[in-house]
Amino acid sequence: MATKEEIIARNPYLPELKEINYYKRESPDSFTIRLKWKLNHGAGQFIFCSLPGIGEAPISICSYSPEYVELNIREVGNVTNALAKLKKGDKLLVRGPYGTEYPLGALKGKNIIIVGGGCGVAPLKGVIEYIERKREKFGDVSLFFGFRTPEFALFSEQMKSWKKTFKLHISFDKIENPATCTTGIQGFVTQLVDDNVKDSNNAVAVLCGPPIMIEKTAELLEKKGFSDKQIYISAERLMYCGIGKCGRCMIHGKYTCLDGAVFRYDELKEHMD
Amino acid sequence: MRRRDVVAPVKTDKSRFQRIENPDDIWLDENTDFPIKKFFFSNREVLFEFSGNKVKNPSLELKDTVYFGVRRCDLNGIMHQDMVFLDDNPDPFYKARRDNSILFGLHCKEGDEYCFCNSVGLKDFFDLMMYDKGNHYLIESGTEKGLVFLDEFKKFFEETAEMISDNDRKIKNNKKLSTTNIKYMYGNESWEDLAKTCLSCGACNLLCPNCHCFTIQDEIDFDLKSGRRVRVPAACQSKGFTRVAGDHIFRETRVSRFKHRIYHQIQYFKERHNEIFCTGCGRCIRGCPVRIDWVKKINEIKDGN
Repeated sequence: MATKEEIIARNPYLPELKEINYYKRESPDSFTIRLKWKLNHGAGQFIFCSLPGIGEAPISICSYSPEYVELNIREVGNVTNALAKLKKGDKLLVRGPYGTEYPLGALKGKNIIIVGGGCGVAPLKGVIEYIERKREKFGDVSLFFGFRTPEFALFSEQMKSWKKTFKLHISFDKIENPATCTTGIQGFVTQLVDDNVKDSNNAVAVLCGPPIMIEKTAELLEKKGFSDKQIYISAERLMYCGIGKCGRCMIHGKYTCLDGAVFRYDELKEHMD
Repeated sequence: MRRRDVVAPVKTDKSRFQRIENPDDIWLDENTDFPIKKFFFSNREVLFEFSGNKVKNPSLELKDTVYFGVRRCDLNGIMHQDMVFLDDNPDPFYKARRDNSILFGLHCKEGDEYCFCNSVGLKDFFDLMMYDKGNHYLIESGTEKGLVFLDEFKKFFEETAEMISDNDRKIKNNKKLSTTNIKYMYGNESWEDLAKTCLSCGACNLLCPNCHCFTIQDEIDFDLKSGRRVRVPAACQSKGFTRVAGDHIFRETRVSRFKHRIYHQIQYFKERHNEIFCTGCGRCIRGCPVRIDWVKKINEIKDGN
């Protein structure tokens, strides 16, 4: 029998300290940080970030690199607002990675349709960086992103290079002055998908965003011939442990932390409430 | 003989499991009002301590303990919690307590007003089990650990040729729950009726031998520097259970929360672990302040009423 010291030495809740070596204000309510952390992870996985005394929050990884981990964090709760006050050189507590990944390894030769809304674009950046590394393995890659307004757009730097490699389409819910906006159209991301996706042949769609965006986009894709098995989504729930114990992220018996956060749409379609 | 603590049922205002000093305090007349789970899934578990950015594992105080007089429903509750906490990524705090336990059960002869364990397919899960034969108990060992324990304390036991009969293993006067069709009842309007009087108080979660959901939160000391991260039980019946930053609540209605608990108990856990989660102890009905009898209701829906 293991001693209690041996047992507790494998404490899955105990985080490690990592340093921020890059900090950027990304939009009025979000920031991007890069951690000095060589983490073996898949695209679409997430980690827990915390500050002692404030608490812990699950954050999706928005990069795909053997050298570092990037996070785009929206300031929406206690932990994320506190994290926003950190700067380059500061340290935070992390543990992970957790959850399923987008099955990109199995999608060789496929045309990939990536649809993201708001902060849902963050984990998709990891997907795109994965594809960039193995560009020749994939067919056509189209990106569709929707943001509230141009100032809330994420990753404007990266968008410039993505525009060269992929078919990039951007929409904004509202544009102050549509005539002068060159980056995107006024409207919803579904409109971009409707206008630009012709058929479902040899294609897989990867969606991340608010539930209503996922629902409407999936509906539209189905009209264009996509089956539920050609669509991958990322779900979001409150979670505390990340290892299938706390029970908080359960969606009709599925743990978002273990069975997701990336699900094939047919696994979750009936249970989007 | 190694000295061990004994946790056994005690009755004061309510009946519950406690560490006992005096064997006369043990009360075995009926099942306890409260389940045994808090001894393994603690009401407040320190996950780690911190001082500024430095973190360290907590010190864990463990005592070899015999859990005595535990009924089949609670024993199966422990078995189910084992499936959650001792999976591929085991919970060290739970594991440490389980490693230091001897589960010494007491087989019920008959059910009470609310329990229905015969309907949920309980398994034999114990180190030792006692069967009440009136003027003596028959003891059965279920594990190597149980056998070793019996051997260690053999002066208290007598060997016998008397067999534990099928009749001894029966629990009489048990209510029935029809679980087979629940999958197809999700859209049934009767759930609304049932949840109408629910207070979302979470007593059912607290009293359930299986419910193990929790919240992780930080406690900070007055120096605003040191503190600890703790886990405390959470109730899926409370509205905040699924509240995310930005104030979105995924199970906003009482009926959706009520159904979540029942479906987790009867269907979801079974899909994952091949066991019905609910162990039929009936405490969630007995202890419900408005006595919502979901078992009766499910049986009625089944009958088409």
